[in-house]
Amino acid sequence: MSGKPYRLAQGGRLIDRSKKVSFTFDGQSMTGFAGDTVASAVLANGQRVFGRSFKYHRPRGVVGLGSEEMNALVGIGEGPRHEPNLRAPQVELHDGLIAQSQNRWPSLNFDIGALNSKLSRFIPGGFYYKTFMWPQAFWKHVYEPMIRRAAGLGKAPAGSDPDTYEHMHAHCDVLVIGAGIAGLAAAEAAQAAGARVIICDETPRFGGVADLSAGTIDGAPQLDWVHTRAKLLAEAGNVHVMTRTTAVGHWHHNHLMLFERVSDHDPEGLARGTPRHRLWKVRAKHVILATGALERPIAFANNDRPGIMLATAARGLVERHGVAPGMKGVVFTNNDDAYLTALSLKRAGVAVAGIIDVRQGTDSAAARDARNAGIEIIPGHAIAGVESGYGGLSLSGVKIAPWRKGQGRVVNESRLACDFIAMSGGFNPVVNLWCHNGGKLTFDSGLQSYRPGKHHDRIQAVGAANGTMDLAAALAEGYAAGEAAVKDGEPKAGRSKAESAPQRPLEPIWFSPATGKYNEGNKHFIDFQNDVTAADLELAQREGYESVEHTKRYTTFGMATDQGKTSNLNGLGVLAEATGKTIPEIGITTFRPPYTPFSFGSIAGSLTKNLFLPVRRTPIFRWHKAQNAVFEPVGQWRRAYTYPRAGEDKHQSINREILAVRNKVGLLDASTLGKIEIKGPDAAEFLDRVYTNMFSTLKVGRCRYGLMMNELGFLIDDGVTVRLGDDHFLMHTTSGGADRIAAWLEEWLQTEWTQYKVFVTPVTEQWAQFAIAGPKAREVLSKLGPDFDISAEGFAHMAMKQGKLGSHPVRIYRISFSGELSYEVATPANLGRGLWDAILSAGAEFGIEAYGTEALHVLRAEKGYIVIGDETDGTVTPGDVGLDGLVSKKKADFIGKRSLEQSFLRSAGRKQLVGLLTEDPKDVLPDGAYAVRAVKDKPPMEMIGQVTSTYYSPTLDHSIAMALIENGRSRMGETLSFPLDDKVVKAKITDPVFYDKEGSRQNV
Amino acid sequence: MSEAQLETALTGREAPGDLAIEIRELTTRGMIDLRGDAGDGKFMAAAKDVLGLDLPTAPRTSAAWGEVQALWLSPDQWLILCPRARTEELLAALRQALAQIHSFAVDVSDMRTIIRLEGHAARSVLLKGCSLDLLSPDYAAGTVRRLRFAEIAALLHIVSERPDVLDLYVFRSYADYAWEWFLANGRAVAAIQPFGQQAVPAV
Repeated sequence: MSGKPYRLAQGGRLIDRSKKVSFTFDGQSMTGFAGDTVASAVLANGQRVFGRSFKYHRPRGVVGLGSEEMNALVGIGEGPRHEPNLRAPQVELHDGLIAQSQNRWPSLNFDIGALNSKLSRFIPGGFYYKTFMWPQAFWKHVYEPMIRRAAGLGKAPAGSDPDTYEHMHAHCDVLVIGAGIAGLAAAEAAQAAGARVIICDETPRFGGVADLSAGTIDGAPQLDWVHTRAKLLAEAGNVHVMTRTTAVGHWHHNHLMLFERVSDHDPEGLARGTPRHRLWKVRAKHVILATGALERPIAFANNDRPGIMLATAARGLVERHGVAPGMKGVVFTNNDDAYLTALSLKRAGVAVAGIIDVRQGTDSAAARDARNAGIEIIPGHAIAGVESGYGGLSLSGVKIAPWRKGQGRVVNESRLACDFIAMSGGFNPVVNLWCHNGGKLTFDSGLQSYRPGKHHDRIQAVGAANGTMDLAAALAEGYAAGEAAVKDGEPKAGRSKAESAPQRPLEPIWFSPATGKYNEGNKHFIDFQNDVTAADLELAQREGYESVEHTKRYTTFGMATDQGKTSNLNGLGVLAEATGKTIPEIGITTFRPPYTPFSFGSIAGSLTKNLFLPVRRTPIFRWHKAQNAVFEPVGQWRRAYTYPRAGEDKHQSINREILAVRNKVGLLDASTLGKIEIKGPDAAEFLDRVYTNMFSTLKVGRCRYGLMMNELGFLIDDGVTVRLGDDHFLMHTTSGGADRIAAWLEEWLQTEWTQYKVFVTPVTEQWAQFAIAGPKAREVLSKLGPDFDISAEGFAHMAMKQGKLGSHPVRIYRISFSGELSYEVATPANLGRGLWDAILSAGAEFGIEAYGTEALHVLRAEKGYIVIGDETDGTVTPGDVGLDGLVSKKKADFIGKRSLEQSFLRSAGRKQLVGLLTEDPKDVLPDGAYAVRAVKDKPPMEMIGQVTSTYYSPTLDHSIAMALIENGRSRMGETLSFPLDDKVVKAKITDPVFYDKEGSRQNV
Repeated sequence: MSEAQLETALTGREAPGDLAIEIRELTTRGMIDLRGDAGDGKFMAAAKDVLGLDLPTAPRTSAAWGEVQALWLSPDQWLILCPRARTEELLAALRQALAQIHSFAVDVSDMRTIIRLEGHAARSVLLKGCSLDLLSPDYAAGTVRRLRFAEIAALLHIVSERPDVLDLYVFRSYADYAWEWFLANGRAVAAIQPFGQQAVPAV
């Protein structure tokens, strides 16, 4: 037994003793067997303490059988692959696994934080609320860092996660959650009726606790039946079978999330690139909850000592892993089920000092079996305390006393030597998922627990999850639910039948008093993970937290990562006894998703890094990239901002690009511009209604700039619209507004002006579109071989042509956003790159340069052209930006017309668009800088407007800006002050058109 | 001047060999967006004259005649598919036939990128990025469906079944995103077998 004192010589149906597995726990090398969990393997190595508790830093060990584990939380893996707070009984052992205990410093056996335990008189429930409320500044600098260091569980991983994750969607007729006996029966019945069935289980195996419970099916061991069902379902064809998959949440209309741990147990698969986790989003017509029941701990003094575990957990260790929880144990119970644990232990050769049963009498089948096995039963008793040494690290015995419900101080205590305790306070149906989406519960006095009541979704609970603890009844219930879930499902003859011995009713025990004045130096833990004791709950009651929801938040009971799986009912029981109410009168707190924590990686799925955000690329994107362009986001587009050459910084390249347009010729990728084709006999009238200005008078083949308002009279878009035919227009929108404006037009057509015969078809992405701008633009065009007249007279400003540039079919618009002679050329997107290259080579002799969006913005600002979203913010009218002239006085109606008549949109004092020239021409105002009426030593200062666009203009060799300033147009020539962090910038109000006011440069 | 060079959004992109499905860009297809009133007999007849098929009026369906197909997009909108080289001719014929009828036909051949998915895993890969019930009989050959795919808008056309051939239409600017998505989610090591024969779970 040396080295492996707790590994039994025989037994353990899941382990393969021929396959040794090496792993480390806190750096210490250990071995286990294939089939072990981290819990069973570490225990087999004689290590009982797995971590320190959240608040008091008490040593803690394994308590649970599976995902309900609240104490033995471990961190698995290293560096970027580290995952904290995993439940040791749920983690499958594999070779090379690295496990770390948590919340201890410097080591598990000696922990400085355990001082909290000594100070616990001064850390009662609600301690944080009481203490850290004041003074406020202390929170950030003193309390919070201190609490963060002292409390909390695992550590976050370091570095970027190297593994992959993904999402999956599925629909099914019946989703069965839990593959125990009842779940398997439900799935069998549903699949036999032809339904599409998904069955999932959070463990790596089907069968639930069939291997740990009493009774037979069709006269054979339950596992035999499970084997045939697992095979039947896997081979049925209409069933999707999932293990290691937790249903973490249930939402409206049977939408569920399943968290699949694809390869945590399989490091080789992970190395091959198999996703680590997969998050399933399932829509089920019908849900069958077969989630089983979880055992309750019992609140006796110092019930958290390592070596004290649930009876099912002890049984699982012996039966599944061949691990003894200790050398000699006692079973403490209020029900028959825990007797099976005593029998298991005895059969495996582990000494059992006795079964302490709170119930009087020993007249039951379970008791008879125990007696026959030679196990002593001590009825009518309860544990009053435990004897431990070394700061709670070791357990040497229990104090027991006669139990009478509701008694106070304990007398007549006696002692039993033991080094572990298997406890069972009864079972709680796992109703968490039932409650996530508003399912109601009903109290079952036989179980002394809640089981599912009403639900508005098509969801049904079966077996232990429904409070049906009897094997035969659970099996029958599973079949019936599977049949009922399918429309044509009929009860079938010849279904399997189960047999098991009847059980004696349990007797509730919510609190087992300690020796002496109760709770003196003792703690009766209710919520182990959040370190909430029975005394904390009672204190909360005394302090007036009558509602259970308030008590929950005040004491944090049920709020840890285990969501109160083992603590909830016990807490309600304590509160009921403390207040003299019944448990249903206390009420119940809300179970919330997730059932167990799941990884952020699975939530992100594959949508990380290059898939984090969909990025839109123009047909010229690759060229921009090859030029090392700096990109800027415009909506989801990435547009070339500027193209710095070797040795240039961004400012230099932007200035160079601007001067190229002003002096020679530039080429801009404007493919992102929104393009909407509008056609129909009422198209012209429709446009008259959506724009402020007139479009019905536009001649075919001509372009017009339009302003668009919403019903409130505020600007929402602008752009050039082209008349392609009598009943056919092409509208250009802002790059960011393309989708929004298309939807806006559809909405008016479909909901308000249904009489209009107009079709609106967005075609933005059909076209690559470029601006060729600058004094040499016409020469470049000429080199490209147009098959149409491009002379100044033959192709006037604001005209459009369709034809060919060499071999490229184009639509070409003579429009300008730079103030220079400018053509916008559109060609089908797949031909875009070819045309772009052709323009660059045709323009080479004229010194053509590509320019980016920043140069575009400076060029337009020099001309005083507005940009929707810069000069407007959703509260700006055409008049505010000086474009009153574009608001028709003739048209009967258009969107926003009436709003412009409102007094407050016409009143004096509105902010108006002006230009700004700083006193120091090198001083570029920051975007958004505020102008103030008077400069003061410190804020607040009265603000009279703000900068909307601001640039250095290389054309003028002067900083320029546009701003919305209160009564701006009547303040021409005034000097305004803009207080910044370190100085006050002064700027003179000017006309917003800084360059070529006559517009002569574009009319050549 | 030389012939105009065609460069589609995914030109030069090759699918790696480690995928559970075959994916490629379809580059030779022409597309016409056709609008009209399905209740207008004249419109439907004129469209049929040109296309040789009855425009489908049932939601999420399609029709085919020779190398021309019509995908239902909405009650008054269809996507007409044809060989790219025939687009101009077909568009001109449509416009002529529909000249006196309120309608609209426009060439959108370059607006969308078509990614063709082939293989038995095509649906299960797609299901990693969309919530449709693609495994139900509702998604038989010929079905057309607009959907949210990953984080973008897309159009799905079930071309044929057993083995599956699926065309996914995305707006051209999102082609790279969609392609990268398939490289990440279509890996053979990440393949899923939804329903059908399953590995027998341990007990």
